[in-house]
Amino acid sequence: MVYEALDFYDIDSLLTEEERMVRDMVRDWVEDRVLPNIEDACRDGVFPDEWRAEIGEMGILGAPLKGYGCPGLSYIAYGLICQELERGDSGVRSFASVQGSLAMYPIWDFGSEEQKEKYLPGMAKGDLVGCFGLTEPDYGSNPGDMITRAEDKGDHFLLNGAKMWITNGTIADLAIVWAKLEGDIRGFIVEKGDEGFSAPEMKGKHSLKASVTSELVFQDCKIPKDRMLPSVKGLRGPFSCLNNARFGISWGAVGAAQSCFNSAREYALSRIQFGHPIASFQLVQNKLSWMLREITKGQLLAYHIGKKKDDGSWIPEQISLAKMNNVDMALEIARMSRDIHGANGILDEYPVMRHMANLESVKTYEGTHDIHNLILGRHITGIQSFTREP
Amino acid sequence: MGVAVLLKQVPDTTAKISISGGKVDESSIAKWAISPYDEYALESAIQLKESGFGDVVAITCGPSRAAKCLTEAAAVGADRLIHILTESTLDSIQVQSLLSASVKETGCDLVMCGKQAADTNSGSTGPGLASTLGFSFVGGVTRVSVNGGLASATRLGPSGLEEVEVGGPCVFTFDKGESELRRPNVRGIMMAKKKPIDSLSPEDLGVNGTNSLVIIKDHSSPPEKQPGQKFIGSESIPEVVEKLREEANVI
Ligand SMILES: Cc1cc2nc3c(=O)[nH]c(=O)nc-3n(C[C@H](O)[C@H](O)[C@H](O)COP(=O)(O)OP(=O)(O)OC[C@H]3O[C@@H](n4cnc5c(N)ncnc54)[C@H](O)[C@@H]3O)c2cc1C
Repeated sequence: MVYEALDFYDIDSLLTEEERMVRDMVRDWVEDRVLPNIEDACRDGVFPDEWRAEIGEMGILGAPLKGYGCPGLSYIAYGLICQELERGDSGVRSFASVQGSLAMYPIWDFGSEEQKEKYLPGMAKGDLVGCFGLTEPDYGSNPGDMITRAEDKGDHFLLNGAKMWITNGTIADLAIVWAKLEGDIRGFIVEKGDEGFSAPEMKGKHSLKASVTSELVFQDCKIPKDRMLPSVKGLRGPFSCLNNARFGISWGAVGAAQSCFNSAREYALSRIQFGHPIASFQLVQNKLSWMLREITKGQLLAYHIGKKKDDGSWIPEQISLAKMNNVDMALEIARMSRDIHGANGILDEYPVMRHMANLESVKTYEGTHDIHNLILGRHITGIQSFTREP
Repeated sequence: MGVAVLLKQVPDTTAKISISGGKVDESSIAKWAISPYDEYALESAIQLKESGFGDVVAITCGPSRAAKCLTEAAAVGADRLIHILTESTLDSIQVQSLLSASVKETGCDLVMCGKQAADTNSGSTGPGLASTLGFSFVGGVTRVSVNGGLASATRLGPSGLEEVEVGGPCVFTFDKGESELRRPNVRGIMMAKKKPIDSLSPEDLGVNGTNSLVIIKDHSSPPEKQPGQKFIGSESIPEVVEKLREEANVI
């Protein structure tokens, strides 16, 4: 049956024709290519290479970036792309988020002209895959204390250290690596095949199984001098990438929640217990109405922050709120939907358990739920509570 | 030179249809789409263009919502878009006279469309148009190529796959073919949005509103499908065999 995405407040009517067409294109692709194959991809723990190529052909990577072969779409369109991809699977949205917001964006904003021309057109087409190395084994929420170091050796840089939990790492042609050079955090472009660089895959995930997660290891990794991103220094570099990716996640979470809601509604209407569809029981209706309410609020948050991204009037704390709220609501809806499906909810015939497991990662990455609480807490009180030192 | 492709907007084949007062309740339809066989015609027309043949002119006849299928066609490569704007339901003859008037206006002498529309299933547009225009007609094709002045088409005929060669103007109707339908991409969508749609009224085309000679007298829904039956365990094998033989007549 045709997929009817929940849109209780008619957000659709606020979109431009172009935004709707892009949304429908991605929605059709997800229906045709992702939904029939996602369970196999999860079982095999792979991100199918055809998906990379087809996402590239659609021309949606780096959606809001302009020039250098990038699409130049609105932030609303970028949000819709994330929503539709994540309605399929958070792993597919992760691929696009990392490529666009975490790898293309820093080159586009902080790269030299040569770097932009060298990498962006191929990345926009999906011919070159990028990854983003910030998290380390000992530094997750607190990346400022990272250990990875770069040394200026006159005619080259030498990188030493390790990154962990890096999406797309093993399949990436290039990595944006954040490392300290004389005490300052700087961004470096490390290419696959660079001496002293390896990216072994991390196995055994119960979540985001169709997404590749890797370590990045640098042992006297030698890279040419022109691989440093010239125009950013300090945590502002990685954090500005994260702002864009978090924005996309606030929409993506809506997609996952819409998928769980639809499945719960259909199931509740067809499942008969005590002689009646379970949808006719007040407790089940209460759950469905709660889902409708939370998704609708999440959509309005996402849409509004999208408009603010488009007109430039946003602040990072507003994105924190949208990411935190929407992932939280999506996870709760996935759990509730799983409950409505009874035992069937644990089967791979329904998308809910997969979304639920995926959303656990989404809750943690791009700033954990509580780190966003702390960001808002600092905004409200003016007092930072990340660390006990003044 | 060029190919005119006729596109009809129909309810998506997976959309739920509800009937009220003997008519499809359009407001209940969640998704409209280009009729599937027309999509094969469009794909073939774009392939022809890529092989060096002229422009693709996409034509639709229908209410204002139908403009969407023209923009979708432009997103995958249609060059010119014509919308014959009609708000009332027309019979086949009326549709054919409007379409043939617009094909004449474009000067195209190849016309492609689906072998039938997914909603009405009547299959009259292609042959009817060929007769109004005085063009040749080849039905149920899966591929068309043009070499010199000759068009050749592949179709499933009584002797297997037939290669049919036609000289001169022709209408081809399409069956589901082997070719994979192309997806739009962002670049196509951005260009499509800028492409103007020539919106024409029947009067613009010199076709006067004749009264429909066909009316639907009665209508009934097909019988509900019988629910399936479940058989569990090896003891039910004889019963299943018996039913397959006597009721389903498959063994
Ligand atoms: C599937 C997956 C993909 C990922 N992809 C990438 C990637 O591509 N690139 C990348 O760089 N990273 C990536 N990450 C890493 C992710 O960003 C980190 O896991 C995240 O920042 C949290 O770090 P951590 O896991 O070390 O948890 P920790 O920082 O150790 O946090 C553990 C818990 O402590 C809480 N906590 C920490 N500090 C405080 C505090 N001050 N006050 C209160 N509570 C606190 C946290 O909220 C959390 O609940 C990925 C992670 C996953 C799971």
